[in-house]
Amino acid sequence: MPFDKETTDVLIGGYMSTDAAHEDYEAVLNCGARLWGAVVVSKDLEGNLSVEQTDHMVEEGAAGLASVGFVVGLFAPPLLAATAIGAALGAVGGKALHRRTGSKIEEAAGETIPIGGAGLIVAYKHTDAQTVEPTVARAVKKVVGEAEGHHVEALKGALADAQQKMAEAGG
Amino acid sequence: MSELDRTSLPIRRETFAGVANRTLAGSQPDWNLIGHPTAPVGAPNVLLVLIDDAGFGNPSTFGGPIRTPNFERMAEGGLRYNRMHVTALCSPTRAALLTGRNNHAVGFGSVGEFAGGFPGYSATLPRDCAPLPRILRDNGYSTAAFGKWHLTPDGQQGPAGPFDRWPNAWGFDYFYGILGGGSSQWDPCLAENQKIIGTPEDFYDEEHPYYFPDAMADRTIEWLHGVRAQDARKPFFVYYSTGCSHAPHHVAKDWVDKYQGKFDQGWDRLREETFARQKELGVVPADAELTPRDPAFPAWDDVSDKLKTFYARQMEVYAGYSENADHNVGRVIDAIDELGELDNTLIIWIWGDNGASMEGTVTGSFNELTMQNGIPLTDEMQLQLSERYGGADAWSTSLMAPHYGAAWAWAGNTPFQWGKQVGSHLGGTRNPMVMHWPARITDAGGLRSQFAHVIDVAPMILDVTGIPAPDTVDGIEQEPMHGTSFVASLTDGAAAEHRTQQYFETIGNRAMYKDGWWLAMKTERIPWVLTPDALRPYAPGVWDPDAGPVELYYLPDDFTQAKDLAAQHPEKVQALKDLFWVEAERYKVLPLLAFLSTFFGMLPPLPDQTKFEFRGDVQNVMPGMIPRIYNRSYAITADLVVPDGGAEGVIVAEADHLGGFSLYVKDGKLTHTYSMMGVFVFKQVAEEDLPTGDVTVRMEFDADAAKPATGGDVTLFIDGRPVGKGRMDHTVPIRFSGYSGMDIGRDNGGVVDRSYEREKPFAFTGTVKKVVFDIKPHLSDDDEQALHAAEHHGQAAHGLSA
Repeated sequence: MPFDKETTDVLIGGYMSTDAAHEDYEAVLNCGARLWGAVVVSKDLEGNLSVEQTDHMVEEGAAGLASVGFVVGLFAPPLLAATAIGAALGAVGGKALHRRTGSKIEEAAGETIPIGGAGLIVAYKHTDAQTVEPTVARAVKKVVGEAEGHHVEALKGALADAQQKMAEAGG
Repeated sequence: MSELDRTSLPIRRETFAGVANRTLAGSQPDWNLIGHPTAPVGAPNVLLVLIDDAGFGNPSTFGGPIRTPNFERMAEGGLRYNRMHVTALCSPTRAALLTGRNNHAVGFGSVGEFAGGFPGYSATLPRDCAPLPRILRDNGYSTAAFGKWHLTPDGQQGPAGPFDRWPNAWGFDYFYGILGGGSSQWDPCLAENQKIIGTPEDFYDEEHPYYFPDAMADRTIEWLHGVRAQDARKPFFVYYSTGCSHAPHHVAKDWVDKYQGKFDQGWDRLREETFARQKELGVVPADAELTPRDPAFPAWDDVSDKLKTFYARQMEVYAGYSENADHNVGRVIDAIDELGELDNTLIIWIWGDNGASMEGTVTGSFNELTMQNGIPLTDEMQLQLSERYGGADAWSTSLMAPHYGAAWAWAGNTPFQWGKQVGSHLGGTRNPMVMHWPARITDAGGLRSQFAHVIDVAPMILDVTGIPAPDTVDGIEQEPMHGTSFVASLTDGAAAEHRTQQYFETIGNRAMYKDGWWLAMKTERIPWVLTPDALRPYAPGVWDPDAGPVELYYLPDDFTQAKDLAAQHPEKVQALKDLFWVEAERYKVLPLLAFLSTFFGMLPPLPDQTKFEFRGDVQNVMPGMIPRIYNRSYAITADLVVPDGGAEGVIVAEADHLGGFSLYVKDGKLTHTYSMMGVFVFKQVAEEDLPTGDVTVRMEFDADAAKPATGGDVTLFIDGRPVGKGRMDHTVPIRFSGYSGMDIGRDNGGVVDRSYEREKPFAFTGTVKKVVFDIKPHLSDDDEQALHAAEHHGQAAHGLSA
């Protein structure tokens, strides 16, 4: 089937540890599905950023993935005294997610990946969703966006959809 | 020397019995004048050992899975006591143990951190209740305390005192340890006598790093040697109170590895195994029943394989940590033996002050303070955060402040229900005790089952030393001790029960014991849950303590509290309820739930200090005494002198990477790092270099709202110019650390920002003239009052698990 007839999915996963993100990244690479691209970005405790991506990533995919704002603010813990601390999360998440398309992965991730955290983005054919999604087992926050059309447009659309869902999920 | 009157302390000085003429001619000296009161002839040395946050089913000596060869050695040469009782919480047990009086009656219905406005909860020892060490010291004993103290109110742990709440004033000649309820074992903020001495120098020695339990034993042995070098006969009283097994569970990997794979069977099976060994040893009667698992604890079989590995490691660490405590107590005992004094040293060793602690919540935590700060983390989040800080191999290191999952604590309290905080049940109130005293005990290896309580320990020590409880101390008439000596049990296994009645109360969980009957009145709140929903039923005017569920047990037939007889004996239930109220009034237990009074709007006066100034050499400000910057806007301003060529280092830092903040200069840039309990870490860096000469730097946090854990924007300034900014989405609502202090001009102990770990303590190479915290008042009085309430909710929450 021609690429531009496919529905494309983009999965974004957020992690509190690099190990967990890499575990899922490896699982995704070995799941047997054909991926348009996968990238894991992490920041160590000293604030150093590292990026790892598949060798098979299509050029358009890489460009598209680079636009993602990584959001790993993940939960809104209720406090003892009846208040909640998560109210600001959604707003911050939204801000991070609407970064200019086309920025480099490092720049986007550098500003939005928290110290000690990691993010995983995987793009794949929607028909492979049942194969890919269950392998992303350790994300503390996981969303999937989807879009149809020509592959670049579909990828961008799926990213936007995933970003929106992440924002709606409270970061 | 005339017979001393020991009923009034201090003992009055000797009357001059010589002759003092105008000149030496015909004068007769009286050398008794320069002596000091001596202990009664034959008075034994006393070593009182208290292990922290441990349960009846932990040590191998009582059938548990943790090897305790020294505890066992003492039991084999002495006596096991299998019906010794504590108060279900740290400070209250310590207060009762050291005063011989019920904990509420001496102001410790709660913990040292939380000084409330009711007599039973003031965390302030009344002057008419002189404690045991004071009595022994005034009667000719050398006295010393090592380890965990936890009897000094939170806000009084600095150079301004007041020192009458510190260990020396309780009667200890010497103190070395921690004032608070728990501490890192790698970099504790130490106190010695009346000074906070902070992080030990050896913390920076990578080859031979400092370890608090080792240092405690070293210091104890050194002190004993010093005393004996000066005086070969003066008896000693050593109170050896380990920080172990309280969280954070810190111990070297070698100790942990001994237990690798030993807990893979899980907590349900572990309880069964322990119970079988307990019966075999005879510390639990053969006809006893193992109590079932409460639904609050998950079944091991329902846990995923990945989490089973994670959880098993938590218990391996706890076990290694606990065995190390046994090892170090053994070193102290060996030192006494080497002095040739073991025969006449009464060793009283209690394995736990409140049952094992369930405060790690169901998941356990990489950082015990996450629970106290109200941060609910799922099991997967906890697992990932532990991976962030090094994973399984780092669980016991200074990279984490770990606490195991609640079900491990429940297993540690085998065969009983519940654990710490639950004063209504034996899981929180019954701990193993061993007594060793070859000079007196003839039934070595025996078992004793007299119902005893920690209030009985001080009267017993006085009994065996021949020292009376004083009628007056410093001219103040004394309240008699509430405990009773059980010395008869030392030589007579069939000695009559000395204690036939005892009340228990901890955070609303109550019990009344009389003549074998035990009425348990547990609140329905799960001990580690402090959500509004969980607290609402206990609000004033809502809660009726008499309307809650009750359980009735007859302990002579039911050692473990497995058979609830409440429905069959309503008249007994009522009689014990009535008796509890009488005892509660008598011993200042009322009002119930005073510990939680701040949650229900009973707040201390609003503090009015908004500016806190620290000169450049102030270090080791205890965590409960740092400026109240939580949940609000604030600014930190520092006046610096930066030499030509620039400077780097820390300007001010509180605590460490698991919660804290640091304002520092690195690579010429002013930087602010803020760790929200190690879960989120925020960092802002100035965009221009720090100039030389006299420089004023400032960090401003503009909170989104006056509310717990508020987010907000950070701006960095140099000489009034904004030079950097950033955002902190969440801030710490309650407390950065339970033990790590604030320092000016350096970052003592574990560092806040791991990027300068290699340069620790990263002292500022210029001059920090002063640092000023400006606690910006919020717009309305209501906001200030709300923050004040939040702060005290946090104080109480911290206290619950300290």
